[in-house]
Amino acid sequence: MSQTIAIPRDMDLPALPRLLALLPGIALLAALGFLGKLTEQSIARYAKAHHLALPNIEYVLWAIVFGLIVSNTIGVPALFQAGVATYEFWLKAGIVLLGVRFLLGDILKLGGVSLALVAVELAVSIALMTALGRWLKLSPKLTSLLAIGSSICGVSAIIAAKGAIEADDEDASYAIAAILALGAFSLFAFPAIGHALGLSDHAFGLWAGLAVDNTAEATAAGALYSDAAAKFAVLAKTARNATIGFVVLGCAVYWARKSHRQAVQNKAAFLWQKFPKFVLGFLLISLLATLGAFTKPQIADLANLSRWAFLLTFAGVASRPTFANYASRACTRSQWAPLGSSPSRGSPWR
Amino acid sequence: MTTLRKLTLDWWAVIAAITAAILVRFNVLPHIPW
Repeated sequence: MSQTIAIPRDMDLPALPRLLALLPGIALLAALGFLGKLTEQSIARYAKAHHLALPNIEYVLWAIVFGLIVSNTIGVPALFQAGVATYEFWLKAGIVLLGVRFLLGDILKLGGVSLALVAVELAVSIALMTALGRWLKLSPKLTSLLAIGSSICGVSAIIAAKGAIEADDEDASYAIAAILALGAFSLFAFPAIGHALGLSDHAFGLWAGLAVDNTAEATAAGALYSDAAAKFAVLAKTARNATIGFVVLGCAVYWARKSHRQAVQNKAAFLWQKFPKFVLGFLLISLLATLGAFTKPQIADLANLSRWAFLLTFAGVASRPTFANYASRACTRSQWAPLGSSPSRGSPWR
Repeated sequence: MTTLRKLTLDWWAVIAAITAAILVRFNVLPHIPW
């Protein structure tokens, strides 16, 4: 949760050229996302004009498909990579703005339910991942990273835990690969299962928010189902993200005791450092909306702005390194681990 | 400048979103269609 904003590698550049270097990638995200939106609208218009009953495929899926096509065929050229990496910024800005669609009372009510479910989800997924790690004879620290990644918020949680438990880079990169591969699968599988089971928007949103590991994929899975489901998915995922500090702290204390080194000194400072600050922004915007700071048209404008931010996010999620890459990395580790060995030490994510 | 460089992605997202909300609130940003 404490990653710095994605900027080009050359840190010596002044601020303005660094910001300008982000523009090509952001323009690419906007183009892919907008193309997705145009495709959705064009299909709907065609179906209406020809009196066809075509399924409404949301812009989210088209943006992801176009992003996948680019990243898996021509690849993302170096010029665009810094800007494409800003997708997480758009995701968090979009979540903060989405706060305008929630009254604070609803957040407390739904957030309370979500937090209770989060507690169950944390216990089950940590226990399950620990058991799986033992069964597959994975290293204990890799197992811890996988348990944290699958129980809280994917990549951010793994990065936060890596330093806290002093895991090595290789374990962290394999844990990230596994979580992203699971996220890619969930993104497409969850909406299909949800429709097959006939889940309501509320039920599906809660399920996606609690079970899909990465925030971007959870939001996208919700949006693929429906606009209302996306709202609930974001709320459940945000409640889950808010627990990151406690779980990472618990892991840090456990590993410090196990390796007889000094535990975390200032636990309050540790919790604050790991706390996802965008949750505070989400609550603040919701508070302002609850207090009547915005008119109805302004609320609609801010909700639309949030949708535009998510549009860039969804295009960016698919434009990352190939999903096939993630899956093969995750599988390679699982296949090697029972043999008590590890594959090549090299990792492109170092 | 040093303080700005230290800000995390989360803080930048919060700052950007709240700035946008202020601009919408005071009608600086025009109507945002979807």
